[in-house]
Amino acid sequence: MLLSIENLYVKYGNIEALHGISFHVNEGEIVTLIGANGAGKSTTLNSIMRLPPPEAPRVISGDIKFRGQSILNVEPHDVVAKLNLALAPEGRRIFGNLTVMENLTLATYARKNDPDTEIKRDLDRIFDLFPRLAERKTQRSESLSGGEQQMLAVGRAIMTKCDMLLLDEPSMGLAPLLMYEMFRTLKQINQEDGLTIVVVEQNAKVALSLAHRGYVLDTGEIVASGAADELANDPEVKKAYLGG
Amino acid sequence: MQKHTFTIALFLSCLGLVGLAQYNWLDQYILTVIMFMGINIILSSSLNIINGYMGEFACGHAGFMCVGAYVSSVLSVAIFAKDKVFGAPMLPPDLAWIGFPAIILAGALVAALTGLIVALPSFKTRGDYLAIITIAANYMVISAIENMDIIGGPRGFQGMKRVINSMYDVADIPWMLIWIIIGTLFSIFLIRRFVTSTYGKGIIAISQDEVAAEIMSINTNKMKISAFMLSAGLAGLAGGLFAHVYGYVNPQSFSIMKSTECMVMVYLGGMGSLSGSVLSAIIFTVLIEALRFIIPEVDSLMHSIGILPDSYEISQVWKWVIIPMILFFLMQFRPEGIFGNRELPDSFPKLRKFYSFK
Repeated sequence: MLLSIENLYVKYGNIEALHGISFHVNEGEIVTLIGANGAGKSTTLNSIMRLPPPEAPRVISGDIKFRGQSILNVEPHDVVAKLNLALAPEGRRIFGNLTVMENLTLATYARKNDPDTEIKRDLDRIFDLFPRLAERKTQRSESLSGGEQQMLAVGRAIMTKCDMLLLDEPSMGLAPLLMYEMFRTLKQINQEDGLTIVVVEQNAKVALSLAHRGYVLDTGEIVASGAADELANDPEVKKAYLGG
Repeated sequence: MQKHTFTIALFLSCLGLVGLAQYNWLDQYILTVIMFMGINIILSSSLNIINGYMGEFACGHAGFMCVGAYVSSVLSVAIFAKDKVFGAPMLPPDLAWIGFPAIILAGALVAALTGLIVALPSFKTRGDYLAIITIAANYMVISAIENMDIIGGPRGFQGMKRVINSMYDVADIPWMLIWIIIGTLFSIFLIRRFVTSTYGKGIIAISQDEVAAEIMSINTNKMKISAFMLSAGLAGLAGGLFAHVYGYVNPQSFSIMKSTECMVMVYLGGMGSLSGSVLSAIIFTVLIEALRFIIPEVDSLMHSIGILPDSYEISQVWKWVIIPMILFFLMQFRPEGIFGNRELPDSFPKLRKFYSFK
């Protein structure tokens, strides 16, 4: 088990956002968290990444374990640098006034001890997965289209050298075709590189078609879980999230 | 070869400047203006690390300058000169020219440590709130020094001229000009190395999005400490040089007015542009000095055509109307400053042949 969330309660100020959720992610899996707005999906990811407030809530009780060790006292930059978790955050949050290449190399910030050849190999892999980024290498990233920015956000997260990639709403603001392309690429990364992926999505149908397993969140609680195809056919889930 | 053209040209022009000063071909006044230019270059480019590259809003730069000025002045007088308070020199004054850089660097180091006053609150605060903290830090430094009677309190501190004079006894060369050239080149070199390194790119990331920087494995708190300390340290270095050019320091010369001057220079040159900072420091120094002559001219002109009553005189105080007006018009018509966040070779690609920023 790579990641396990154990009975997690978190609060924003006085408001409890997660009421004791538990789930786990195995190595090499794609797991999706689906649910409506305000269900606590992003809160869960931000808690795992240990983001500083105001983005992240306070953990009241419960534990987050990565490779069997509690990470509640790890600082966010160390979660990325030492534990090799990576997040492509909601709304992309790329560095607009830096070029595509600078965004990608900035992600190697903590990889000072890695040989250049390894970083070069990872960069080539990103450009191989997202050929559009290769075309736009020297362009300022604020001038990219929404889809390209999302590719950059994913590529940038992978460049930090991750064992587990967390994606917060990767389909947001993408045209359907681009969205399918993005999900195909994610599947490819998972199959070819063996990268474990956790996807938080509102678009439950696409997310379930990509994932191996899924969890359904509703107002801070997990209401359903199981294999992705079972969830997709579950009448309750269908009714609530897949539009009948 | 062409890549080094700029470096060689810079070196030769500095050498030429020293030569001109050595043979008294430069007026003492012009020489002083050139020295202030150097100090202003250090001030504006070091503040640019914070206000430009890191996107914070620090308004207390003169406070750090003050720390550097006082620490290095007190050290140089105590070590190399006979003084009422500090007694006989600790080391023979002949050695002043060797000890001087160490003294200036000591001042810079203490100023860098003072920078922590601002760096630590910056972990939790940003924007306006941090601006208020920096102003407070500026005032704290000034009132602390005003209340230290041993170093002259509000009367100021002097005696540095004796140290400089003992350098002239060793060799008759324009010492202060040389120190300022070295200090300026050192600062520019350091800042350029800092902001072009991957490490330094971290502060640009912080200016854009702190949380995103953090998930790019950047230790934002550590970056902020190093940026604030570097900026404050270089301000201290400029302060030390400033004190030794004047031979006299007074806490009030490092008031919020001085901090404003630093900020005007940064915004005039462009936030996040090192060449912009250098250029605007030069323009600003020349402008300030030019006003010394222009204001009396305007005064007499206006009196001769009878616009002003005889009892009123346009004094040098008007400088403080004109400088804020520069900021006013700048923000109206070119808010990004002369260079924006670009460097000289970005704006004039032909220069790239001779000089590369990265």
